[in-house]
Amino acid sequence: MLPTTPPSTIMCTPVHSAAPVAQVMVSDSRRVEDEIYPRFDAAAGGPANDRGMTSSLIVTVRGLSKSYGERVVVDSLDLDVRAGEIVGLIGANGAGKTTTVECIQGLRRPDAGVLRVLGCDPTRDAERLRPMLGSQLQDSALPDRLRVHEAVALFATERARDPADLLERFGLSARRNSAFAGLSGGERQRLFLVLALLNRPQLVILDELTQGLDPAARRGVWRAVARLREEGATVLLVTHELDEAEALCDRVIAMRDGHILDQGTPADLIDRNAGWATTRFSWDGPHNFRALPGVRDVVVEPGRLTVHGNRQSIAHVSAELARSGRVPPDLAVEMPNLEAALLHLLEGTDHREMVTI
Amino acid sequence: MTALTAPKIVDSTALRLVRTELKLVRRDPLVLTFVLVFPIVTMLIIGGAFGTDPDPAFAGQNPSHWYVASYFTVVIASTGLVMLPVHLAAYRERGVIRRFAAAGFPRWSFALAEMVIGLATIAVAGAILLVVAAPIYGIPSVHHAGRVIAGLGFGSIGFVSIGVLLGSLLPSARAAQAVGLMLFFPSFLLGAGGPPPHVMGSALRHVADVLPLTWVTKSIREPWLGIGTATSALIAVAGLAVVATYVAVRRTAL
Repeated sequence: MLPTTPPSTIMCTPVHSAAPVAQVMVSDSRRVEDEIYPRFDAAAGGPANDRGMTSSLIVTVRGLSKSYGERVVVDSLDLDVRAGEIVGLIGANGAGKTTTVECIQGLRRPDAGVLRVLGCDPTRDAERLRPMLGSQLQDSALPDRLRVHEAVALFATERARDPADLLERFGLSARRNSAFAGLSGGERQRLFLVLALLNRPQLVILDELTQGLDPAARRGVWRAVARLREEGATVLLVTHELDEAEALCDRVIAMRDGHILDQGTPADLIDRNAGWATTRFSWDGPHNFRALPGVRDVVVEPGRLTVHGNRQSIAHVSAELARSGRVPPDLAVEMPNLEAALLHLLEGTDHREMVTI
Repeated sequence: MTALTAPKIVDSTALRLVRTELKLVRRDPLVLTFVLVFPIVTMLIIGGAFGTDPDPAFAGQNPSHWYVASYFTVVIASTGLVMLPVHLAAYRERGVIRRFAAAGFPRWSFALAEMVIGLATIAVAGAILLVVAAPIYGIPSVHHAGRVIAGLGFGSIGFVSIGVLLGSLLPSARAAQAVGLMLFFPSFLLGAGGPPPHVMGSALRHVADVLPLTWVTKSIREPWLGIGTATSALIAVAGLAVVATYVAVRRTAL
């Protein structure tokens, strides 16, 4: 059962004016705008039905900048989210992730940039856009004495799904008469997920969904998000938990200091940012592993070798071992996971957290 | 913030928010403690301190009646300067208002809900105040009912709006409580429930004259007791209500 409606169902009405796309860019905005919306025919002056969105593009951000006082939090950021994707926005605290999604939701006004979310300008069309979004905000709450079923009734619009079904799916049926203050951290987050999905949003934005939860509660929330993926929802997930991004996201965007460092599938990011591998095995006597393609370094210890190299080096080392007729029984290959790759990327360190295969 | 436009006709979401907020206040009566208890207790003490004989210091009125006619204003001030700022700042501090905004609630719905709560609180607490005063000091007869109602109405709207505005400006519930009490007590002592203006020194009287709560008290007390019409005070209170409401609604638009 889909919690979301197809992206084309409801969108902001296209703008007809000579300044066709809502913008807050202070300079060079036409150029950026044309880049994003090349099909708009300004000379025709008529409605541009598909302007601003390809059929699958839910969020388009170009040149987003935001400062708080002297501090630049987001700096010329470009970002796309397509229908059906679960995109993870990751980075350390202060990377600008939350500010970015707050601008996308129209909760903050950008200093510069062109944003299009479901065909709307988030600042100018906030009232029309927000009902199309499902949001779970960082550090937000409900009134302490508001009961679960009252919260659902308060937030439900005419497009709302069956609340009983949602509460059942997220394990809150038994808590429907409980006050918000009496819910555990995991129950609160699941209630926020229920509220985020209640009105059949076309884009779900989840900001630090599992912050402060114990491992069991985190897993429960992860399962709920994984279910969204199976149902084809479009989700923008903000997190600084790298294992969360790895477990849930189709595509990951890594941010630091308001910039995007890299983006791609988890496999892409591992390949680009932690494409190294380590092969360990018992070995006595001479060897020629250092000369093999892709090998960067060989560490010799008494009776044991450790070969560092790129991922291709695994094949070359294995082939060499097979050729020698001395395949060691303790052969082990270690490769980085996404967390190691992203730590390497975010912190610029050679983090060697490995996954043994 | 986008340009201010006329509020839409209240839709069902706004009404749901109003109903929910009223329900939550009823469920948490401690929120109302200060508004319900403080004006009654102080009215009972101060109202009995000067006897019941007409006194020139009280414009020739029965001092007890003078204070009964003044203490509705204390209810208004305690709602606007203490209860609402703390309630709103707590919501803002905890991210409740952001959540309402992100959910796409109508822009004006939250300001509307808080104003309804403030006005309902004043009505209930004011009625209780009069019920308590009636058997002890008696309720003075109202000389100019229309003016009294106008003073009560504009004064309530003005101070409720000031409360909403303070709640939207102050960073935390604790800060709102500190600032609210700091504003409340001088206003209470000089502008409503303290000594009558005739016994104040000239410096204190000058300070009292510029306090908005003094205008509200004058616009209610004078036509109530037949001391005067307090037209200029009523105009000032009406102006205060319009300006404060405009700024508060604009400031708390979701």
